[in-house]
Amino acid sequence: MLAKYIARRLLASVVVVLGVTLITLLLMDRTRGAYVPGIDFNPSLRPEDIARLRADLGLDRPFYEWYLSWIWGVLHGDFGHSMIDGSTVMSHIVDRLPNTIELTATAILIGMVVAVPVGVIGALRRGSKTDHALTVVSVAGFAVPQFWMGLMLILIFSVTLEQHGLPWLPSSGAYSPFNGGDVLDRLQHLVLPATVLSFFYVSTWSRFIRSSMLEVLSQDYIRTARAKGMSERRVVYLHGLRNALIPLITLIGLELPGLVSGGLVVEVVFGWPGIGRLAFERALQYDYSTVMGVTFFATLLVIAGNLLADLLYGVLDPRIRYG
Amino acid sequence: MIGPSRVAELDMPAAGIETGTARPAQSYWNESWERLRANRIGIAAGILILIFAVIAVMAPLFSLILTHYQPQTINLDQTFMKPGSTHLLGSDELGRDTLTRLIWGARVSLGVAFLTVAMSLTLGTTVGMVAGYYGGWIDDVLMRLVDTVLAIPAIFLFILMSILFRPNAFTLAAIVASVGWGSVARLVRGEVLSVKQRDFILATRSIGARDTRLMLRHLLPNVLPVLIVAASLGVGQIILIEAALDFLGLGIQPPTPSWGNMLTNAQSYFFRSGFLVALPGIAIFVTVLASNMFGNAIRDAFDPRLKS
Repeated sequence: MLAKYIARRLLASVVVVLGVTLITLLLMDRTRGAYVPGIDFNPSLRPEDIARLRADLGLDRPFYEWYLSWIWGVLHGDFGHSMIDGSTVMSHIVDRLPNTIELTATAILIGMVVAVPVGVIGALRRGSKTDHALTVVSVAGFAVPQFWMGLMLILIFSVTLEQHGLPWLPSSGAYSPFNGGDVLDRLQHLVLPATVLSFFYVSTWSRFIRSSMLEVLSQDYIRTARAKGMSERRVVYLHGLRNALIPLITLIGLELPGLVSGGLVVEVVFGWPGIGRLAFERALQYDYSTVMGVTFFATLLVIAGNLLADLLYGVLDPRIRYG
Repeated sequence: MIGPSRVAELDMPAAGIETGTARPAQSYWNESWERLRANRIGIAAGILILIFAVIAVMAPLFSLILTHYQPQTINLDQTFMKPGSTHLLGSDELGRDTLTRLIWGARVSLGVAFLTVAMSLTLGTTVGMVAGYYGGWIDDVLMRLVDTVLAIPAIFLFILMSILFRPNAFTLAAIVASVGWGSVARLVRGEVLSVKQRDFILATRSIGARDTRLMLRHLLPNVLPVLIVAASLGVGQIILIEAALDFLGLGIQPPTPSWGNMLTNAQSYFFRSGFLVALPGIAIFVTVLASNMFGNAIRDAFDPRLKS
């Protein structure tokens, strides 16, 4: 049953992946017009070299042919070469991905560690001043533009502190270019971007946990547990929280694509050498083999995230059956 | 007036009838309005949005009588001024008046947001209704299309399209709406699937109503509440997306001021003026906050089932 369900989902995913890559390529093809900046405007290349390079990159072929050979390559694990620097697209992704994972994983971790207690407190003290205050913070969290929050943190913790001669936090990059790269250095660079990213997670997830907890606490089995004389603490944490956290799995699963796209704006603000910024910069340079590679990868993450969330949900909640 | 009365059948308060209390039957719209009016914070937020909208529409008037500057007037003698009597909210690196630019920026933010909502609702409703109504292969094809659109990381799509189309307010709205319609379509399809089962649809069809008439006069009024809620909750998100695109340099291009591109600019002058960084963000924050709170109030009023 489950195997059949997974098979059907994967089959539907193939259609989606093909659709996504086709749309991306169509847009890129319309966008690039007739030239590739790194080649056509390079004064040190002779016209015949340009023609040869374009042929190597497949630019002399109509886009559907390019697409078919691209798909063929992808099926064989070959994502092709960047149109800007000629290195493989895979090497770019492998190069940038660890930085993105470092940032996103930290943010998700901080998000959970903060959001769970905040949500539980809100639910247990529903209607109290604490609850209202937490609600206000979370509602505000939805309205703050991430990039602006990043800029403000830079203004306060980098610029102003530095101006007053105080110890300040680095505002750009994942590590210092000179004598940097050790753990402490990386952590210092991580503080500001991870704060911005996790703030968003906290405001979303804490609301979610609050309502999920409220719903669980009104269930019959909670009343039964109380009626058996179980201590309130045990009721809340053993029976309540455990069940209230199940839906959170779905939310975190849905954040998987955020690995690539969710952090893009934050990566750009903080000059973080991640995969989102890679896609952003390369899109601006019409490097469409790189953009295709990253988009493909990001789409796989979307699909994997959705599927994983659904499956985990079934594992954690036996009432759910797949048909 | 088919619309409101049809909708009334959906959410008619059964409790009043059962208990026999003499409560006058109210239409769905009257009830929703009553609920909305009772929500003071929601109403306050709505009024704030209205004020911003008026300011945005009358931006030329405001820059004439209030600030006495035009948004693109350069004055190199008055760069990086602090807020004061010359420039109420200070000035930027070219001596342009910040308040004036914020007021003109409101036009971009609100204008694009409303335009985007209008576009995604129109397309989303059409697709969702056709898919839900006809079902079968039409439904399959349209919904796979929706899946695909929603599976592309939206930000990539925005980047590619804003390179492709030279963004102005209209194309920018179209770009954002090209993703936004997907979730509207899903929502509408779901509603249509359930409304379609009701007896009055069968009755209407049996007296020979055509498909288009059925969809426009009978189904549409019934999905209207969902649409109103989706629209009012969407505005805040769209303002954020639009500002982010402007900030990345993919949206409204300078010298036309928008809250997003004012921040792009301010980034280069961290050490000169903190106000330039703070103010446009505060404008975005307050606007989005107000529209989210108004959106929540609308949701609670029009769709009490969803109340959190």
